[in-house]
Amino acid sequence: MLEFELNVNGERHSVRAEPRKLLSDVLREDCRLTGTHVGCEHGVCGACTVLIDGQPARACLLYAVQMQDHEITTIEAIAAGGRPGALQQALHEAHGLQCGFCTAGIVMTFEAYLKENPHPSEEEVRDVLSGNLCRCTGYQNIVAAILKAAHAKA
Amino acid sequence: MPKPRFRHIGAALPRKEDLRLLTGHGRYVDDIEIPGALHACFVRSPHPHARIAGIDTKAALSMPGVFAVFTGKDLAQWTTPLRMAPPIEGLHPVEMTTLPVDKVRFHGDPVACVIATSRYLAEDAAEQVEADYEALPAVADFDQALAPGAPLVDESVPSNLVSRQAFTTGEVAARKREAHRVVECTFSQQRMTHLPVETRGCAAVWDEGRRHLTLHIGSQVPHPLRTQVAARMRLSESQVTISSLDVGGGFGQKIALYREELTVAAASRQLKRPVRWREDRMENLLAASHAREDRCRTRAAVTKEGRLLGLELQIEEDFGAYCFYPANYLARVVAMILTGPYKVRDYAFEVKVALTNKCGNGPMRAPMAITSWVMEGTMDAIARELALDPLEVRRLNMVEPGELPYAMPTGEVIADITPRETLEAAVKAIDYAGFRARQAAARREGRYLGLGLCSVVESTTYGSRFYKAAGIPGSGHEAAWLRIEPSGAVNASVGLGPTGQGYETAFAQVVAEGLGVEPASVRVHMGNTDVAPYGMGSRGARGGTAGSATLFLCARDANEKVLAIAAKMLGFDSPEGLRMVDGRVEREVLGERIETGIALAQIARTAYLDPTALPAGMAPGLDFSKTYDPPPMTYSNAAHACEVELDPETGALRILRYFVAEDCGTVLNPFVVEGQQHGAIAMGLSGALLEHMRYDEHAQNITGSLADYLVATATDLPRFEILAMHTPSRGNPVGTKGMAEGGVMGSIGAIANAVNDALAPFGVIADRQPLSPDYLRSLLRSK
Amino acid sequence: MKPASFAYHRPRSLGEALALLAEHGAEAKPLAGGQSLGPMMNMRLAQPARLIDLNAIKGLDFLNETENAVEIGALTRHQTIASSSLVRAACPLLAEAAQSIGHYAIRARGTLGGSLAHADPAAQLPLVAATLGAEIAVAGPRGERRIAAQDFFVSLMTTVLEPDELIVSVGFPKAAPREAHAFVQFSRRRGDFAMAAVAVSVLLDVQKRIQRLRLGIGGVEDKPVVPTRLIEQSEGKVPEPAALAAAAREAVSPAENPRVPAVYRRELVEVLTRRALQKCLNSN
Repeated sequence: MLEFELNVNGERHSVRAEPRKLLSDVLREDCRLTGTHVGCEHGVCGACTVLIDGQPARACLLYAVQMQDHEITTIEAIAAGGRPGALQQALHEAHGLQCGFCTAGIVMTFEAYLKENPHPSEEEVRDVLSGNLCRCTGYQNIVAAILKAAHAKA
Repeated sequence: MPKPRFRHIGAALPRKEDLRLLTGHGRYVDDIEIPGALHACFVRSPHPHARIAGIDTKAALSMPGVFAVFTGKDLAQWTTPLRMAPPIEGLHPVEMTTLPVDKVRFHGDPVACVIATSRYLAEDAAEQVEADYEALPAVADFDQALAPGAPLVDESVPSNLVSRQAFTTGEVAARKREAHRVVECTFSQQRMTHLPVETRGCAAVWDEGRRHLTLHIGSQVPHPLRTQVAARMRLSESQVTISSLDVGGGFGQKIALYREELTVAAASRQLKRPVRWREDRMENLLAASHAREDRCRTRAAVTKEGRLLGLELQIEEDFGAYCFYPANYLARVVAMILTGPYKVRDYAFEVKVALTNKCGNGPMRAPMAITSWVMEGTMDAIARELALDPLEVRRLNMVEPGELPYAMPTGEVIADITPRETLEAAVKAIDYAGFRARQAAARREGRYLGLGLCSVVESTTYGSRFYKAAGIPGSGHEAAWLRIEPSGAVNASVGLGPTGQGYETAFAQVVAEGLGVEPASVRVHMGNTDVAPYGMGSRGARGGTAGSATLFLCARDANEKVLAIAAKMLGFDSPEGLRMVDGRVEREVLGERIETGIALAQIARTAYLDPTALPAGMAPGLDFSKTYDPPPMTYSNAAHACEVELDPETGALRILRYFVAEDCGTVLNPFVVEGQQHGAIAMGLSGALLEHMRYDEHAQNITGSLADYLVATATDLPRFEILAMHTPSRGNPVGTKGMAEGGVMGSIGAIANAVNDALAPFGVIADRQPLSPDYLRSLLRSK
Repeated sequence: MKPASFAYHRPRSLGEALALLAEHGAEAKPLAGGQSLGPMMNMRLAQPARLIDLNAIKGLDFLNETENAVEIGALTRHQTIASSSLVRAACPLLAEAAQSIGHYAIRARGTLGGSLAHADPAAQLPLVAATLGAEIAVAGPRGERRIAAQDFFVSLMTTVLEPDELIVSVGFPKAAPREAHAFVQFSRRRGDFAMAAVAVSVLLDVQKRIQRLRLGIGGVEDKPVVPTRLIEQSEGKVPEPAALAAAAREAVSPAENPRVPAVYRRELVEVLTRRALQKCLNSN
């Protein structure tokens, strides 16, 4: 067992965990932030995507102990003050989620991507979205929502 | 356009569910905090078929954090076996224990359960459980299963042919003799799995003092699940609560009571501690539930004009090792509804289902998924062999509006469907007439385009009378309650298990419509068996039909009482002329509507807190319940049209355009319906192009990760163009017909027909899925 | 799917990391981006007793231009390589290949050194390194050495790297002005490992003859294939994509695989080689 501190959504969390404990599990169990979902634990489905220093990463492929001195951002930080962010609002308005299990990973992926490329084409959006599996929506409304959010910010 | 019948039903309301799910505040099973919960991990068989000589748990029990290791022998003391023995001719009864005791039957079969303080420690200990196996020969597919001398998957069944049914009506043999041609085709659909992004899982909390089990679990069918859990733990149904809050997708995988879940529940009672289990993705692929893997053969007797005279169908399904459902049930539905919108009197089918040493099958979004591909592929084959236009062959054989209701040869009656209208709309949208010229021009440039059509008649909702006729025990009813609280707040509930369909929103609209309030003021509670009434849960497409009808009728009852009270409060003898709109009572006077000044909150307060002011003889309160049994079967319909481009050098496919014209009756919420259409088409295309649960010839599963089990991503799917052609059903109080599985059926057929159209110049036919590039290359290479 | 226990080290310098590797030998495993090692550990296919996390080491994340090469630090993330204007200008084949790796979040985390050391035969960066004749700088207790990429890869997930050595940087030769390139791969879905991949870089002389051809084929054998004879024979000749592609097909020996038959891989090699060469010629 190691004791270390994590900076999650701007708050310090003291964690006591084995080095092998995955960041996804530490966020969910130790930090009690269950919005980050675990869908495959081998880096394919994208459900657990969080931001590390603003860059997207699969939380299931990181050990929490690695994340000392880094800023972690999870879905819980996106709706500041309970008001959904632009992408969340667009997903709501475009019916871009059904069961909602994959949604946090998609929001986090595009929170990063839209900063890097604020005016993506549909093809670019689909290309980036291909790293997140959704079994419910067929992706169409997610793509529409992302484009809508990008336009709204423009 | 006729004037809309409804005020709230049919409105495009964004979903009530969204905010919590978008902000990370959903409550899926694994998000529920349970202090002191222990974690379960299952030890699984590496063998497809082996005798269990012994299981040594000593080393595992000495590992840090380990509380217990349970095996099949333990569970056999604490739980009863599952017996699957419906009185269906040709179906052998089978039975399974909670965990295997004597032998394992597939690669991934759970043989022991480790309970420890964390999943990490449980996995460490699971590696130390020493199971001693004596390997047995295994059967890896349908043909191996039925080969002479094949090892028996289940020794209690005389052969691996666990189910066989045959049916004939009319004189198919005579029709074949008279026919200009008998067109024969084959179709082979691969093994798949549902792959909800949230895997299975549960958390069992045993309250020793109250002798009560609370099982947190993502379930499509909370009440039927409670019945199963209680019976198999020898508890009464008042000792078990199923709680299913948010569910990360089901698609048919979250219906059965699985052995792992029952084990976890029993372990919690035994240890008097909460126990939780979250299935990991490897387990989910290996051992949750599989689906499909069926082969069909049709023989169509036709005239030279392409008119269908008689039809034969053979289905063979590889069902896997365990029966969580009657083995005939999935394939049988295909045979029952195969002919869909097409007219034929003489029909015969044979359905064979075999047990094999693989994970057991279950219904997956469109259990009858292969149906439309088989029928529409047969239509294309008729056109191909007779050199006719495939659209003309369809038009020639399709039932006319004036011929409805029409009895299929199996006796299934289709009514209130519009297959001709949807077909014509789809071919117009995709410019079928202009396509052949474009196709020819493209071929001259070395590009291979193909267009595929697929009409769907979707069996959405099973009524109790259907089950009775099929000999399957069970009910098709649904149940609802509605309570207007003293403040005027409206609570409602229905016995369905939402897994993403937007029920909280669409059903609020239904209740609002029936009661006369705004949808925003209605809260629909589902998933907890202490709260919801005993309904049959979510499967097929029964939510929008059985669910909405039950809630609507319940809300109408409530509306009646509310208006009766309002009349008394206003001093009228009868509520005639009164109605409630958005929670305010209006009165019609000489064709004008006048506000009465009475609102629902006042009526509710009177009903609860001032009962003496109620009409004479009226009981206090505003508390209503309703059950409803839908017609034996409800059908909706659609037509799919798809254009693809084939790269013959690599075998790669690109979907260029996709249209669906669909008639699902009254639409509760167009957002939700379109979302279901997208999702269903996507699931069908994903299966048709990519997904394949593979076993090797020794029945070893070789699809252990999402790098092996491929599902469609955003770059694999086209934009879906939807033509809404909804006409209300007369068989349902709201007019809904149900939908959400037909998209799977239609897309499987449309893409296959489009690919074969593109392959036509090469003289080869793709008759199995997935339509992978290496498979298509293998066909092209053979020429 | 939880990893087995391991001890964790987070060295702050290369020297510290090498000392830890020297001390713990084969029981220690370096951790870079973890995008390949992570899944293997979660599935318990890999159970190293110790992880030496390289991510806190300063100075291993850089992009430098030298006269003939672009020198890239081993900890540089794929996304950085793909979006670097230096790499795009000086080594466009590498930028294009890096852009095609996995998915956005994977590229943001995965590293150049990790990809080369992991040596997946279907991966993009080993293929580009072998095709271009990159030089891999390696540090160990016996000092630094530079290894030609063609000599670096031994077989499936095996390299000449000793257990106590680390990749420090990789030098990719710069493309000449007018040099055309193409990176073409075929996979079931976007981001999946390639069933076949072809990297090509062609420089034509004024007579439109091949002055220099660089060609590599990935995903087909147990390491990237650089068909040296074919390349040598083509030099000085007018490029004929169809003939070169047919020769490339004969130059590979794919193993039979239940998912991807060898005959299909050969076909892909021919088609992709032809298309890649054609793309180069079209861009000239």
